[in-house]
Amino acid sequence: MESEIIALLLSGALFASVAAALLSTKVSNSLIALFYTSIVLGIAFTVYGDGLLGLLTMITFAGAISVLLLSVVLITGESKLDLGARKLALGAIPLAAAIGGISLLAVFSGQEIGIGASDSSFSVLQFLWSLRPWDLLILMVVFAGAMVAIISLLGKEE
Amino acid sequence: MVVDQTILLATGTALLFIGVAAVAVSKNLLKSMMSFQVAVFGANLALFSSGLGFGSRLMSDAFVILSVLVGASVEAVGLAIIVVVYKKYGTLNPDEIRRLRR
Repeated sequence: MESEIIALLLSGALFASVAAALLSTKVSNSLIALFYTSIVLGIAFTVYGDGLLGLLTMITFAGAISVLLLSVVLITGESKLDLGARKLALGAIPLAAAIGGISLLAVFSGQEIGIGASDSSFSVLQFLWSLRPWDLLILMVVFAGAMVAIISLLGKEE
Repeated sequence: MVVDQTILLATGTALLFIGVAAVAVSKNLLKSMMSFQVAVFGANLALFSSGLGFGSRLMSDAFVILSVLVGASVEAVGLAIIVVVYKKYGTLNPDEIRRLRR
């Protein structure tokens, strides 16, 4: 029963972020919603036991393609990327960095990295895939929040 | 697991159709590319969930990885075309571009 609830939650999150991306009038808001959609999709893959696919989706879509879209939005001037709340963003970035650092320490503590191990490549892989999905979720939410804060901070001040 | 698979498969299919419909009706090329990305997400989720009920998921995983890479490449080329079109016509509205071409 629990797994069905997780599947329903993931589906709901996907539909909500897609609706926000497609129905938003500002391109910058659509871009942020699409960024969240790629993260939710990556988390869905990770939750269902395919960490490699989740990581690949996040790196490709939330990383490379989001940056490409952001560059095109800036080049074409379709949106000013001004989300407002610059003072809030100034406070949010150090907070996000602190929470992200603490979470990273929590995730990576007690794990053996493959240096000096007999089969180092296997150990590194084991180390990477042993990251628990919910830790990854917290990290991704923090990174996404930091991205919104950075866009808000770098946006043009009217 | 069968219920999970059905939910994810339905979600993926719905996202695929929503993305394709949004590409068709969008009046901004950038929003069209974003809608295309939604369609790719839907296809990836549907492919992934199709392999959930079986013991080995190697085949579905291979297809999803292929789909991710092809989708990302297509999107990168599309964005490059959008920049060129914007430099030439000064707009991203497909109707306006069609009018200016005449």
